Amino acid sequence: MIPTAFEYHRAKSVDDALEAMAASGGNGKFVAGGHSLVPLMKLRLSEPGTLIDIARIPELAGIREAGGQIEIGAATVHHAVATSTLLQDRCPVVSEAAATIGDTQVRNRGTIGGSLAHADPSADMPAVMQALDAEIQLQGAKGTRTVKAVDFFQGLFTVDLQPGEIITAVRFAPVKTAAYKKLYQKASHYAIVGIAAALDVKNGKIQSARIGLTGATTHAVRLSKLEQALAGQATTAEAIDKATAAAGTGVEDVNADIHASAEYRRAMVGVFAKRAVLAAAARA
Amino acid sequence: MLLEIDRETGEPKLLRVVAADDAGNLINPLIVEGQIHGGLAQGIGQAMIEEAVYNEDGQLLTGSFMDYALPRATDFPMFEMHSTCTPTPVNPLGAKGVGEAGTLGSTPAVVCAAVDALSEFGVKHIDMMLRPEKLWRIIQGKGGAA
Repeated sequence: MIPTAFEYHRAKSVDDALEAMAASGGNGKFVAGGHSLVPLMKLRLSEPGTLIDIARIPELAGIREAGGQIEIGAATVHHAVATSTLLQDRCPVVSEAAATIGDTQVRNRGTIGGSLAHADPSADMPAVMQALDAEIQLQGAKGTRTVKAVDFFQGLFTVDLQPGEIITAVRFAPVKTAAYKKLYQKASHYAIVGIAAALDVKNGKIQSARIGLTGATTHAVRLSKLEQALAGQATTAEAIDKATAAAGTGVEDVNADIHASAEYRRAMVGVFAKRAVLAAAARA
Repeated sequence: MLLEIDRETGEPKLLRVVAADDAGNLINPLIVEGQIHGGLAQGIGQAMIEEAVYNEDGQLLTGSFMDYALPRATDFPMFEMHSTCTPTPVNPLGAKGVGEAGTLGSTPAVVCAAVDALSEFGVKHIDMMLRPEKLWRIIQGKGGAA
C-alpha cells in the first residue's frame, strides 16, 4: 500500500512539464487526477522516479468554443465537463457521459485527458470521443500533433502516445443529437458495456450515424456495421430496434470477467446501442 | 419489498421497501430508525451486490472496492418505516435490541421479491446474489433458477 520513493514536480506550463520529463532520465510519469496511476504505484506495479504533476497547468484547463468546434483542456476534471452549460447546450452527450463516471469524489479529481491516455477498456470517454470523431491534441519534445480518436486507441491500455508526450486537449464539432448509455459495474461504476451514439437526423430519418463502444473489447472501437445499418432508417422505436438488434454479433474478442461473461456483454451491446440511438434521436 | 427487473438487461431495481419492527419501548427513536436503515442497507446489499468472488485457487478476486460493490444511497428508494410496541418484561426499560433487525428480514425479502417477479418464467428459487447476468439468463431461458 506504500509506493516506492519518488520525486515530485508541479509543472507550471506544458513546456515546464516536458522539460521535467526530459530531465527525469526516462523514469518520469505525468500525473493529473492520479486515479489510475496512484493505485498502481501503491501496488508497486508502477514505480516512477519522478511524478510530474500537470493538473494545475492553466493552459490545460477549461472548456471553450472556437471556430464552430468545442475544445476541452486535458486537465479538465469530469465534474467540470458534467456541469458545463456550453456542453449541456451544444453537445449534451459529453456532459451526460462525464456524469456517469465513478462517484462525486472521482469526478472532482479525474480528468478527461487522464481517462483518454490511460485507455482503460471500460472507461467512458474513449467511446464518446470516437462517436464525436474528436481530434486529440498532443505535445512532446518534437512539437505538437493531432490524432483522430478513432486511431488513438490501439489496444489494451495502449494508445498512440509517444514517450514524453502529453495530451493537451480534445476538440470536436458539437453534435446535439448524440447520447451515451451504459450498463454500470456496480462497484466501480465503470461501463460493463457503454455505447455513445452520434446521429445526423433530417426529416425524421437518420442520415448517418457514428457509434462508439466501450467495455466490451480490449479498447473502445467504432461499430461501423451498425453505423451502416442505421443510415437511412426512420427514427421510430421499431426501426431503431430492428437496426440495433444484432449489433453485438459482429464484435470480436469480447471481454469476460467476474462482472459479466462474453455472451452477456455481447447481448448488452445491442440493448445499449438501441437505448443510446433512441436517446440521441429524441434530441433531434 | 417491491422490486422490478429490467427484461432486457436483468438489472433489478428496488421500488419500495417497507419495514415494520417491534423493539419494545423506544428510548431514542432516532437511533432505532438509524439502526434499521443501516440494517436494511446491509441486508439488501448482501442479496443484491455484495459478493465475495474467489477463483479456483482460492484467490479473492473482489479484493478492492473497485470490484466489491457496497450499496450507496442512490441504490435505495426511501425506506417506509413502521413499528409496533410490545415492551419486553425481562428488563426494566421494556426495550429490545434492534441492531440487526433490519438485516435479518431484508435479505430473504429481496430474493423472494425477485423470485416473485420472475414467476412467469416458472422460477421458484434463486440463489443469492441477484446479479443482472443471472437474472438475464433466467429471463432468456438459459438456466440458473430452480
